[in-house]
Parts: sequence; structure tokens; C-alpha cells
Amino acid sequence: MKNKRKNRPWMYSFPALILIGIIVVFPILYTGYISLTNMNLYHWDNYHLIGLENFQRALLKVDSGFFKALLTTILWTFLNMVIQIAIAFFIALGLNVKGLKMARVYKTFLMFPWAMPAYVSILLWKVGMFNTEFGFLNKILTAMGLEKMNFLSENVPAFLSCMILNLWMALPFMIMMMDGALQSVDRSYYESAKLDGAGFWKQNWYITIPSIKPILLPSIIMTTFTTFKQFDIIYLLTMQKGSLSGSTLQTIITYAHQNAFVSNNYGLSSAVSIVIFLFIILFSLFTNREIKEAA
Amino acid sequence: MNTKKVRHITGLTVLNILFIALCTIIFIPILYALSLSVSRGGTGLNSGLSFWPQNPTLANYYEIIVNEPFLLWLKNSAILSIGTMILAMGTAITAAYAFSRYRFKGKNGVLQVLLILNAFPQILSMFAIFRLFKTFHLLNSYIGLIIVYAGSMCIFSIWNMKGYFDTIPIEIEEASRIDGANSRQLLFKIVLPLARPAIIVTAVMVLIFVWNEYLFSTTFMMNENSYTLAAGLYQLQSGDYSRSWPLFSAAAILVSIPILIVFFCIQKYMISGLTAGGVKG
Amino acid sequence: MKKRIAMFLCATMAASLLAGCGNKTSNTNEKPQNDTAKAQEISIWHDGDESVMSVIQEQVNKELAEDQLTVKFEKKSGLTDQIKLYGNDEESGPDMYLYAHDSLGAFVEMGVLSPITDILEKDAYKDMLPMTLKAGEYQGKQYLLPLYFETLLFMYNKDLWTDEIPSTTEELYTYMEQNTDSAKGTYALVNQHSTAYNVSPVINGFGGYVINEEAKPGLTKKETKEAIEYNKKFAALEADGDYNTVTTLFNEGKAQAIIGGPWLIPGIKDANINLGIKSLSDFTLPNGNSLAPYSGIQAIGVLKHAAENKKDAIKKVLTVLSKPDVGVALAEKANCAPANQKAYDQEKVANNEMISAMKQTAETAQPMPNIPEMSVMWGPTESLLAAVNKSEEDLDTAAEKYQKEAETAIADMK
Repeated sequence: MKNKRKNRPWMYSFPALILIGIIVVFPILYTGYISLTNMNLYHWDNYHLIGLENFQRALLKVDSGFFKALLTTILWTFLNMVIQIAIAFFIALGLNVKGLKMARVYKTFLMFPWAMPAYVSILLWKVGMFNTEFGFLNKILTAMGLEKMNFLSENVPAFLSCMILNLWMALPFMIMMMDGALQSVDRSYYESAKLDGAGFWKQNWYITIPSIKPILLPSIIMTTFTTFKQFDIIYLLTMQKGSLSGSTLQTIITYAHQNAFVSNNYGLSSAVSIVIFLFIILFSLFTNREIKEAA
Repeated sequence: MNTKKVRHITGLTVLNILFIALCTIIFIPILYALSLSVSRGGTGLNSGLSFWPQNPTLANYYEIIVNEPFLLWLKNSAILSIGTMILAMGTAITAAYAFSRYRFKGKNGVLQVLLILNAFPQILSMFAIFRLFKTFHLLNSYIGLIIVYAGSMCIFSIWNMKGYFDTIPIEIEEASRIDGANSRQLLFKIVLPLARPAIIVTAVMVLIFVWNEYLFSTTFMMNENSYTLAAGLYQLQSGDYSRSWPLFSAAAILVSIPILIVFFCIQKYMISGLTAGGVKG
Repeated sequence: MKKRIAMFLCATMAASLLAGCGNKTSNTNEKPQNDTAKAQEISIWHDGDESVMSVIQEQVNKELAEDQLTVKFEKKSGLTDQIKLYGNDEESGPDMYLYAHDSLGAFVEMGVLSPITDILEKDAYKDMLPMTLKAGEYQGKQYLLPLYFETLLFMYNKDLWTDEIPSTTEELYTYMEQNTDSAKGTYALVNQHSTAYNVSPVINGFGGYVINEEAKPGLTKKETKEAIEYNKKFAALEADGDYNTVTTLFNEGKAQAIIGGPWLIPGIKDANINLGIKSLSDFTLPNGNSLAPYSGIQAIGVLKHAAENKKDAIKKVLTVLSKPDVGVALAEKANCAPANQKAYDQEKVANNEMISAMKQTAETAQPMPNIPEMSVMWGPTESLLAAVNKSEEDLDTAAEKYQKEAETAIADMK
């Protein structure tokens, strides 16, 4: 009986763990295996183990360009997360104001960016917003008598443009999570706080945020990782083959893509993947405190 | 008293204005797509500032629905989303419950490892999964894709729901346990209804993920007829040679609509959440 | 009730996991299983224009009707990546593929292709334009059967460009200076000025190269740099240079002319543009050479497994494809320039303005290199062009930088 109880959590999580084993763990192991072989265009079928040679070459890629990309990635993740959480929080607060009858309609509208496939949104922004000739932003600039601007040709404007697009695409999820979390806060706390004379900011700081933090922490951590490994936005906006925008913005994933994957050397690019994965693990150690708290 | 009411109403009005402004700003790119989708001709893009094209037409929508296998893709998307939702939620709910409610050796370790595993970029996994599935003849089948999607979303779902489960006071369960409920009854009668908002949000996330995914779908499915909507749309625009913006925009709008409908419908189920149950419970 | 749902969940879960290991066809019943039937289907992957493919498919199927043999063209976006995944897989991969010739070297090195000489006698394709055959040759063996080819052209709007078309690039530049107002958004000529393919006419015309036959990148070569410098002054007057931007400008009548290929025709037709076409080889550079664009040869390759197991069927298909009739159909219905010289004997082919311009360009055009190393050259070359044209970087330093990047990428392949 006791043993059965001890095994129960494993029983409950067994199917999920199997699934994760197939789709998540196996590929990582397989990538690790390929990284030890010489699989490439010239040895596509007849590859064999060659030891750690690929890792030697992969580590050569950890150069100044790599660290610049890493720095960009960290800045990118940090800014996106802070802005995203702040904006989503206030929007969600607004949606939860008593008496706001249209809240459901607003919510549906706010969710629209989420309902579109990512690459569609990105292409839409690229042509519809940022384009020098037809983009909405440039049309506004011209209408105001200003000169046209190429938003994507220099690094800083390109970074900001990518960030705005990322916010546009990621906010719906954050708003939805915040909104759900806010609805779980016990209203009676506010009543007593009001009696104590706490104002808007105090109420939020002492009641709302502590109450929703445990619920939100997991999704915030997950989003942080997603932001960290974001590839589509920067790639499709600035470096898609045939329409390079001119900026040289790189995150570590795009850096790896450009430096290892285009060569079709599977052994080498697997080694690079593993090295990057190790960096991500390192990165996650920074956020370890939050992770532990959430777990 | 009266001033308070007035203040409340002005506050609401300001809030409404703010929200309308916000929605408009967020909606600009979508408006752009809408206006493109009803315009005529090859490109539809124009250099004027107006959003409304001169001779609006629904021909692009007609073209997509009738001449492209839109309904077929819609069906495939629906099958895959629902299948994935069942598999992912079915496995993740019990796992999240276990990780939230039981104290056992290795629990925190497993949770942290899962999170780190999730950080491995999925695009890098494609090659390995491809090889695995080829060996087991899972290519070109819905089941194969469902397993891929469910596996990809499983860690996310577990973490997302576990956070919510944690906030359900354990006292409620203990009280029911004293009343003689066994753990399965506990899970289904007490915990799941209480965690409904989290479960719904997670399920919607899974649904949207599948709905918008195209890389695995275009790679693992051999035949255009078994593509999902997102994959079909990807195929439609990928040919630079034949890119037609009006058609593409119309398709993009059509793809988004089912998700919006789902979203609008589930909202009322999200409200009666934790507190309602907790207080009355 | 809840219990039943739980059971159901578990059951579906288990079932789907188990079923995963077993039957593959359970859910793919849309595809008829015709193993038993006599009719044989040859699948051909492509990543091109569906309307062009349907012309070929119809023509071939018409001629093969009595042989109980059909070909089926299937579009695969990102075809090279797909073939790298599926490779020589008989069960789920294609039998043949139709694609531009520049990925040939990579496929041969992977060992997935079979030379067509294993299947077809040399005589069968002797009428093909020599340039197109050369494009399908790798390490002395003929791997590809060319069908049609594409080159960049000077396409102009007859209603807007009222002067005579200049015959030197310098005159062209003067005209562009006088007729471009980027603030108003009107242009004389637009081009994707920062892509390697669209700048190739200048680079080749200057005697430079992106990569030579020994797989050595030529970005720092003096001639290449001169060409890039020369292209830069044009680029400044050619809008952003992004594909969507330039095609839309032309189709909207905001640009009088565009450097582009036959793939633009459907859009231009929809926009009711009064189109005029001129070959790029009609323009002379200051050094006296003509502009010499790359040519892309759309050609058919045969996967190894198909060459071994379906040899007869493949042979029949290839034989039909090598006939001039396919070329004529392609020219007539899809505006493609056939690889088969005999097709040009037909008046309606020879009189097609665009096709004759392409045929003429073919004299100076160079087939894109088909060595595997070319695939990693597009990126650095484009980066170099974008850096110079869009980010105002110094040409010499940028050329050094991207030459090095290209060399690393080539070294990384092995």
C-alpha cells in the first residue's frame, strides 16, 4: 500500500514522460550522437564516428561574433520580457475593472495577433508596416512631410522594429495569462485593503502582484525561454534569403544558423547545437532562483 | 456617493477610450491584411495612405475557398488540433497534478530538467524526429504529427497547469478526502473543476500551436491534401514566383477566424475559476 | 461520467501511442493504393510555378497514356532541404525532381542521384542547347535533363518609358537620374540590387565572379569589387530592392522598368501593363562587355532508387520530356524558354518576344555554378551587397569580411 502510494506520482506522469522522451529527449541525444560523426554532404549515408573533432571546430565558433550575438540575445530577452509583462499587467488590470461591459469584445480583438500563424504576421509587418514604399509607418512619415526611413537597414532601428513585432505577437498570451490569474485573486482582500486606506499602487503591489506571482511564474519562465530562442522574427524580417535588409543583427540562434547550418555539415552543426544548448543551460542557471521557486 | 458614481463612470469612459485606441493600434496590421484581401489585381499593395481599396471584392476569398483545398486543410487542421489536444492534455493534466500534489524524491529535479529540455530549439530536433519516424513508418500520418505536437507542447502544459494547481488550497482536497473520496475522484471532482481556467488556457495554447504550425506539417506530410491550413498557406506564399498578396491575406484572415471564434466562446468558461469554487467549496 | 472520460482519455492515449508503431496508412486513405493496379505513377517534386508544372504534366501524360504510366508533379517548398531529408527514400521520397540546376552538385555528392546516361542514350538529348546541358553536368557526367531556362531580362512599361531604350549602361544611368524621384516614389528602373542573382549581370560583365570552378570565392577579386561599386550607384536609384517592393512598384506603374525574369509575367499580366522586353545582353558596360546574367536551367534529375527499380518507366518519361513538343507547349502556354533547340523552329516560339530575348541572352549568360559550394555563397554575397548598398559600409573592408565568411562556410562543409 505504501509502495503503491509512493509510485503513484510516477504513474500519473508516466505517459507524459514517455511522450517527452520521444519528442524532446531522443532528438537531443540523437543530435549528440550525430555531433560525434562526420555526417555531411560528402558522407551523407556512409558517416562514422570521429570523436570530438566537431566540438573542437564548434568551439572555434565561440568567438567575438558569438559573444556579441549572445549579448544581443540577453538584451533582447530582458527588454522583451520586462516590457511585455508590464504592458500585459496594466491591460489585464484594465480588463478586470468592474463595469467594463465591452471587456469580452476587447479581449477577442486583443487576441487577434495570436490567431495568425507567426510567419504570416511577420510577412504582414514586413510589407505592411516597415516597407519603405508601402509600409504604413513610412506612409505616416511621408504624410507628415518627413523623409522615408528604412527601419530594417541599421542595427538599432532593426532591433527595435523586431522588438515591437515580438511584443505584438507575444502580448496576447501574456494578457490572457494575466487576465486568468487576476480573476483568481480573492476580492475580499481588496475590500479590507481599501478600508485600511491603501491606494491603487499599494493595492497592486501588496495584494495583486504577490497573489498572481505563483500562478504566472511558470508561464513567464516559459516565455522567457521562447523569447531567448526566438528565430523567426529576426530571420524573416532582416535576413531572409533574397531580401536581406542590411542590418547585421544576430542572436545566438541566427548566428548558429548562419555559421553552421547553411553548410549542410550535420556533424558540425549538431556540435554547435549542443554547445548552444550548454549556453542555454548556463543562462537558465541565472534564472535558477525563480525556477526553484516555481518548482 | 453621487460624485463617486460620476467618477466611476468617467473612469470607465476613459478606460473604454483607451481600450478602443489600443485595439485600433494593435489592429492596424490586421486592417492592412483585410484591405489587401478585398482588393483586386496582382499585388494589391498601393502607395496611398487609405486603407480601403477602390473596388472591394470578395473574389479572393472565393478563390481560396473554392479553388484551393481550403476545406480539406481545415478538416486536417481540426483533426490534428483536436487529436493533439486530447493527447497532450490527457498526459499533461495527470502529470501536472502529480507534480503539484505529491512530494516525492526527484520531483524538483525532474521539473527543472524538463524546463531546460524545453529550451532546446525545436527546429534542431526535426532531423532526429524525422529519422525516428521514418524507421517506425510514422511519416505521412496524422498520428505521427499528433505525437510530435503533443510532445512539443507537453512540457509547457505541465508547467503551465502545475502553477495553477499549486494555488488550489490543499485543505479543500483534504476535506474531501476525509469525506471518503479516493484520489481519482479527487482529481476529477475537485481539482479539475477548480483548475478549469488554467486547463482551458493551456488547451487553447495547444490548439493555437497546432493551428499555426507549418514546418513539421510541410515536412512530414507528403501530400498537399494532407496539409494543415497553416502549411497550405505557407505553401501558397512560399513561391516567390507566384506570390499574390491579396490571396495570401485573404487566406491569412480565413485561417485566423476559427481561432477567434473558439476564443470568443471559451471566455465565459474562464471566469468561474478558483475563487468562486474556493469560497463556496 | 467523469470516470468514463478518464478511461476514454487513457484509452486514446494508449491507442495512439501503440498505433504509432504499427500501421502508417490508417489515416492516409486519401491516397489510393494502386500497387496492384497496372498503372504506374512517377512522382516528381518541384518548387516552382504550378501552372508551368501542369503544362508539363499534361503534355507528358497525354503522350504516355497508352503506357499506363502517369507523372504527378508535387510541390515541395524548400525543395533542397526536403531532398536532404528524404534523400533516396523509395517509400516516401520522389522518383524524380525538377528544379534549378544549381543544387546539382550537392545532390550528387550526397549520392542520391543517378546519371541520366544510365537510362537514356546520348542521342535522345542531343538537340538541347549546349549551355543547358553543361549546367546539368557534374564531374564529367550528365545528371540533369534540361527542360527550360530562365535569365534576367530588362522589362519595361511601354506606356511610361517613351524614349528609346538605351544601349549602354551609362546612358541608362543618365536616364535613371533624370526620371527617378524617390521622395514621390517613382522610379525609372528597379532591381533587386542586393541579391547575388540580380547583380550577376554586372559582376560577370566586369569579369568578376562569385565563386570559380575551383570553389574559390571571388568577393575580394578586383573585378568583382569594381562591379559591386558600379552596381552601387544604380542601387541608390532603385528603391529598397526587396522582391515585393520592386515588383509592386513596377506593377503599379510607379517604376518604368524592372530587371526580372519570366516568373514576374503572371503578375504583370494581371496588372495590365503594356510590357516591352529587352535582353540584358543588349546593354554595354563601360568596359565594352555586355551585361551577362546568370541563367537558371530548370532540369529533371532522377533519384537512384527510381533509376534502379523503375528504369523502364523513367526512360519513357525522360524520352517524352526530351522531345521538342514539351518545349513548344511550355513556350506557348507558360512563356518558358525551351532548352530544346528544335522547339525554336516553330514560328510561335521564335516570335515570342520574351522567349527570343532570353534565347538571345543565353549567348552571354552563364549558367549558375552547380558545385555544392555555391549553396553557401548566396548568403555572404548578399550580405556584402546589402552592407555596401544599404548600410553604407566600406567596400574593401566588407569584401574582406564576407570573403572570409564564405571561406569559413566552405571549409565547414567538409
